[in-house]
Amino acid sequence: MWKETREREFGNLRPNLFSSRIFKSRISSIQLSNSKEIVSSHRGSVNSLQVDLTEGRYLLAGASDATVAVYDVQRATDHDGRGRISKHKSLFLINKQHEHGHKYAISSAIWYPIDTGLFVTGSYDHHINVWDTNTTQVVMNFKMPGKVYRNAMSSIARSHMLIAAGTEDVQVRLCDIASGAFAHTLSGHRDGVMSLEWSTSSEWVLVTGGCDGAIRFWDIRRAGCFRVLDQSHSQLGRRPPLLACAATNKQKSSSHQSSAKARPPQRKSTNGNTVKSHGVARVPSQMKSAKQRSHPGMISSHDRATAHYGVVTGLKVTEDGMYLLSAGSDSRLRLWDIESGCNTLVNFETARLQSSKAIQMAVSQDSALSFVPCMTTVKVFDIWSGQTKCAFRGHYENVNCCWYNAQDQELYTGGNDRQILVWSPPKSISTEDDESKNGEAATSDQDNWSD
Amino acid sequence: MSKKIPEFGPSTSRKRPRNEEPEPQSENGVVNSHSLSLEEDFAFSDTLMALRMMRAQFPHIQKVSVPPFVLQSQLYSSIKNRTEVDREIESLKREKVVRIFKLNTGQDDHAIMFIDDYISQIERVVKRMEENSKTDLVVFEWFKTHVVQSKLDTSIGHQELWSFLSLGGKVKEEHISQLISAGLLIRQLIDQNMYWFSIPNIGSVLKGLSQGRKELMSLLSRRKYKEMLMAALEVKRLRFSPLDMRFHLRDLIGSGQLKTIETPSGLIVRVAKD
Repeated sequence: MWKETREREFGNLRPNLFSSRIFKSRISSIQLSNSKEIVSSHRGSVNSLQVDLTEGRYLLAGASDATVAVYDVQRATDHDGRGRISKHKSLFLINKQHEHGHKYAISSAIWYPIDTGLFVTGSYDHHINVWDTNTTQVVMNFKMPGKVYRNAMSSIARSHMLIAAGTEDVQVRLCDIASGAFAHTLSGHRDGVMSLEWSTSSEWVLVTGGCDGAIRFWDIRRAGCFRVLDQSHSQLGRRPPLLACAATNKQKSSSHQSSAKARPPQRKSTNGNTVKSHGVARVPSQMKSAKQRSHPGMISSHDRATAHYGVVTGLKVTEDGMYLLSAGSDSRLRLWDIESGCNTLVNFETARLQSSKAIQMAVSQDSALSFVPCMTTVKVFDIWSGQTKCAFRGHYENVNCCWYNAQDQELYTGGNDRQILVWSPPKSISTEDDESKNGEAATSDQDNWSD
Repeated sequence: MSKKIPEFGPSTSRKRPRNEEPEPQSENGVVNSHSLSLEEDFAFSDTLMALRMMRAQFPHIQKVSVPPFVLQSQLYSSIKNRTEVDREIESLKREKVVRIFKLNTGQDDHAIMFIDDYISQIERVVKRMEENSKTDLVVFEWFKTHVVQSKLDTSIGHQELWSFLSLGGKVKEEHISQLISAGLLIRQLIDQNMYWFSIPNIGSVLKGLSQGRKELMSLLSRRKYKEMLMAALEVKRLRFSPLDMRFHLRDLIGSGQLKTIETPSGLIVRVAKD
């Protein structure tokens, strides 16, 4: 570390490289924090965690007993253990007694992406509430047709303020905060939608994962989804550079001859269209007559491709917007290349993933490591090789959600055991400074029970 | 190219360490017929080697003629890097060397079978049907030439199937039912218009597979420390499964339910705790 600082001083090491090396070394030493503790005020399993995107300071947690709490992760509320462990209690707590609070479990709680003045919670009581943080009052309420599984707002949105809500119902609804009404609905899934995420590269693209096992990409400005991920369409690893693309395309298209009508005419598949058209010349006329009546946006609803053999329980788009990590109730994690829509066939060694509830995964900033809750542990996977780097064991019951705070390289996990645990790189011991600050230098030598 | 593989025992009838032989020699006579040219001898991969080896070690079952298949979890138990296994299987599938079938025993079980074995199994089934009934069996020819060669996925839709078979001749509903009764296609439960490809005559073997798995897991779970020496485990015979212990061990180790630990007295197999 000091050698690297010296290198940076001399100019041998670029600043970006220096900082990424420090991040990497800190991430690789993450363990259960011995200096920070979050005192959970929930009486039900913690379902959703999010740190605000603007300051990286406030952690919002939603739990099954309809409580929502916000914790300050940078400033402790009090200290314990002779000043070495900082305890963070909730800044405020909203529970069922609140006049407009939720009645049933809260499945997801997210901050308004622009600032921490608002947050949005979705619950199994079919409501989505928008709360004002400072007054803890509900400012807007949306009623959904079914249990709300997840809601999301785009963090890069500049022209819309839409909350995307995935419910038990087959349609994904977009709620507009500005007008207080529903903007539109996205149909195409054949069962409820358990997970959804906005794309990190475009403010108009939404990714949803359904209970039918399909993952769909929607452009909210158009009708219908523009891509359905199919687990049998795979590419071997990263996409090859452009020139080599043509060769792999021919191979890919000769091996799958599914109806091209259901897939939008992308540049790549037109290459293969000429190859297969002579073989199936009789097909297009039959299919066209059957499909003539449907709206171009609804053609995608006929596409039955599945991304998982079960429910898609978790989705996470990497920060560079290129890859999508998806978890399914078939206990598989898949990494998809968003641009080509192919499965990259990275095998993550998961023995089991919980299948009844949605899980929230996290990816490190440089997209090299992913944190996935697997039953009672949180496993850290190397994204490209699929190897398990380590497993964090600390919760007594299943872990539901995790959030990686890139500023401090800390991981917060919440589980069915009502606890929120903090995992961080070990803090360097500077006990002398702390103790003299607190005026407890003398007590370190004293026992509590001896005279 | 030598990767560490779990040794299944000191006896010579078990698999030999992979780094001894770089070329597929005649432990199995079938292999010789595959390596036709000198190029092919050098263009092998760990996965292909493991596939051939496991295929050769497939247990012989009386009364049922099932061609040898390898479960995907068995490959994971031999080769450390699972991503590489997945990708190599994908490229072998595209080169039409092997075919993948989704099995209905549990989640995400896939069986890998060499295409030659599959075709010979189809022919065996056709021959048996010819002896029994006099109905027109031309649909199997169409299936072999058009569908198997072109559709490499594990499932197929009704429309697509119809269009592929029509390349051979006029298709009628009875043809599809013939294919289903022969065991080559299975209707999907979720979606009436989709079919899974399947291996004929495999029903009893699959039942044996799931029962054998349960039996082996319960055998180990009943023990005090949920573990047993590999050497002692190998000589046991499973009562409910026609497949041998080695098959089940590889499958369960590869799927993560059992794990092997090196000890001074050999390998120990233990039930994996999450």
